[in-house]
Amino acid sequence: MVDEQDKLLPIANVGRIMKQILPPTAKISKEAKETMQECASEFICFVTGEASEKCQKENRKTVNGDDICWALASLGFDDCSNAVMSYLNKFREFEREKAAANQINENNVDEAAAGSSNSCKRIYHSK
Amino acid sequence: MRQAGTYSRILSGGGISGRTGPHLLPLARIKKIMKKSSVDVKMISGEAPLVFSKACELFIVELTKRSWNMTIQGKRRTIHKEDIASAVATTDVFDFLVDLVHPNASQHVDLNEDYAP
Repeated sequence: MVDEQDKLLPIANVGRIMKQILPPTAKISKEAKETMQECASEFICFVTGEASEKCQKENRKTVNGDDICWALASLGFDDCSNAVMSYLNKFREFEREKAAANQINENNVDEAAAGSSNSCKRIYHSK
Repeated sequence: MRQAGTYSRILSGGGISGRTGPHLLPLARIKKIMKKSSVDVKMISGEAPLVFSKACELFIVELTKRSWNMTIQGKRRTIHKEDIASAVATTDVFDFLVDLVHPNASQHVDLNEDYAP
């Protein structure tokens, strides 16, 4: 039973995404949500398979974000591929900025630690 | 000062996912499904499940939109499995789902259209 659910995205999350696009008065049957769960999993497998094949042909072991974008376009999900590419680029930009900010913070911490140890020495000497 | 929503704004770009946070779908679960798709899938980069979280969201939105059109055509307000099946049957890019959805999907499609000489 647990193994079955592992192959599907959570029904609550799927239902929430479906509701976002529908008018407030629309309803979704439980069976329809379950069907959508299965379709989403099939979508992931379908696209991953295509991306994995590309990696194998290029002798690469790791499926990355670009491979998924390529597979989406290759399988006819052009709009999805473009939107996802833009999302991926934003994420990469965010990660770069975060890494740069962390580097600056680490430098500041090092300087502060060096500074505070000097001031401690001064206090002890004054006593 | 840490600003709330910075991460989600950057990632969502103000799209529909911006309302509910950075990720609408659990990345660990997506990764599990990816690994189960094929024995050839050995290593997955950290970005790949993230990309899928967005792609799945767009996929579910598109399929839901088309399913809802079927519901409306049937003068109903509740989406049923059959509406999803009809949406799949009438959209080329969803051909990979034909076997997965209800086998009665073809009832909503005029088969004569496909087989006319």
